[in-house]
Amino acid sequence: MNTMVWLVRREFWENRAIWMIPAVIGGFMILAALFGNIEQLTIPSQFPSRAVGEIFMAAVGVTFFAVMTIYSTWYLLECLYADRKDRSVLFWKSLPISDAMTVISKLATGLIVLPVVYFIAADVTTLIMAFILSVRAGSTVGAVLWQADLWLQLQVLWVYLIVATAVWYLPVAGYLLVVSAWAKRAVMLWLILPPIALLLAEKWFLGTHVIAGQLGERLWGVGKAFNVDPGEGSWVTTAVDNNTIRTPVDVWSFLNVSGFLSSLDTWIGLAVGIALIGCAIQLRMRRAEI
Amino acid sequence: MTALIEARDLTKKYGTHVALDRANFSVQAGRIVGLIGPNGAGKTSALRAILGLTAYEGHLQVLGREPMRQRTELMQDTSFIADVAVLPAWLRVDHAIDFVAGVHPRFRRDRATSLLAKTQITGKRRMRELSKGMKTQVHLALTMAIDAKLMVLDEPTLGLDILARSAFYDALVNDYMDETRTILITTHQVEEVENLLTDVLFINKGRIVLDSSLDDVATRYAAVAVAGDRLDAARAEKPFYERRMLGKVVLYYEQPDLQKLAGLGEVRTPSVADLFVAKLSGGAE
Repeated sequence: MNTMVWLVRREFWENRAIWMIPAVIGGFMILAALFGNIEQLTIPSQFPSRAVGEIFMAAVGVTFFAVMTIYSTWYLLECLYADRKDRSVLFWKSLPISDAMTVISKLATGLIVLPVVYFIAADVTTLIMAFILSVRAGSTVGAVLWQADLWLQLQVLWVYLIVATAVWYLPVAGYLLVVSAWAKRAVMLWLILPPIALLLAEKWFLGTHVIAGQLGERLWGVGKAFNVDPGEGSWVTTAVDNNTIRTPVDVWSFLNVSGFLSSLDTWIGLAVGIALIGCAIQLRMRRAEI
Repeated sequence: MTALIEARDLTKKYGTHVALDRANFSVQAGRIVGLIGPNGAGKTSALRAILGLTAYEGHLQVLGREPMRQRTELMQDTSFIADVAVLPAWLRVDHAIDFVAGVHPRFRRDRATSLLAKTQITGKRRMRELSKGMKTQVHLALTMAIDAKLMVLDEPTLGLDILARSAFYDALVNDYMDETRTILITTHQVEEVENLLTDVLFINKGRIVLDSSLDDVATRYAAVAVAGDRLDAARAEKPFYERRMLGKVVLYYEQPDLQKLAGLGEVRTPSVADLFVAKLSGGAE
């Protein structure tokens, strides 16, 4: 356990972007809140304050999460390749740390540590922005932007999102690690070419699109962890002029735990992910240097 | 007594290229062994196999373990520098010490810091800011601070100036080496390590051509510098190699009749470097 903590700390030393990118995003958002034009920030009175608060907090969180997804993909693709490229793998392998431990430390950093860091950054940014805007635009705006119960519900959503995406994207992360442990150069090409080759081969020889379908389902199918349309009873509908705004009653109605867990795709993905991570560990054992 | 390293028919192939060809050797505890061979002889492949960094064929046990399958356990008792300057550019000196102290049960932090205190290197600096020589000093300090039974060094002083080299070997012999330790070292600077080695392993084309203690080398091999008029008589004693030097011819013998040789010229024990050249050039098979 102690070794795992050191391994994750090592990732922070090597990849300072882990905390620098969210710091920069948060910094820009706070600067915008400080110096931005708040004249336009008049919330029409008929807007439900709850919906506005939700949209504000969710928008901050989603922005961070979107950037995190891109960085995490790049991180997992690079992590086992970088130290083979600069040959420092020979130093890391001189220490009594198993290859399984090393690979799992990178996986945990990419799938758990990174999202946690980004969501902490999102929370801090939300707090500071809400504070600044309430000082600049008045306490009514502040009361709309900062709603403690909403904030707590969003934390539940973020934790669920981290766990659900970690499970759902485990095979993707596993594949990234395999490429990272395998490639002798051009990780990007190794990432993209094998799936494309499979797609084309299937299309030419069989004329079907099963792989493409499966791939698309894996990349976008995480939606099944959520009730995108939770049903009439779970929405609050507000009429604004001629339009309506619908927001979930609470976070619980938005989570679809049973749907996620009962989907066969979830468990197939988990199994494939574990198998790919096993492959990455084996490759890490055998492919020390480039 | 069982050997610390035991290799039988150790073979390593890269495609059709055979880097190690059924090599047999053993290393006993408490020795300082030089693994010496020309470029491409299989030195690095042998070390990589011993350290569990590469798959191999044949039988290999290091400290009673199979290196490839039990690398993690093996690294509790083994330290190595497989080639210099492999500390990552982004790593800070103090972080490197913290990390190794955190993950290695046999790392002695005080020894690492006192070794580094003798250098110009400060803790907050990153490896990318250090010269090649300084990087090597950091790596050596980290490695020598591990209480290992076996230390493997592959060209440990490459990139160091003469002063730093001699300081390193002094520290290795005086501060580090004792009867509980064993060192396996490869280097091109054979003359530099000759005085500290207890054993030599000559390797050529993937095979071990000599596995001997230096004491045995002294009794088994002799070199005689002979003037031209005695050359035929000297050749009659079946030298395995001869080379011309300053008007004389130096002939190398295995299991010689020393009394006969003494009548031909000046008899001496060949240096490791000379023996290496003689063995590899003189058709040692």
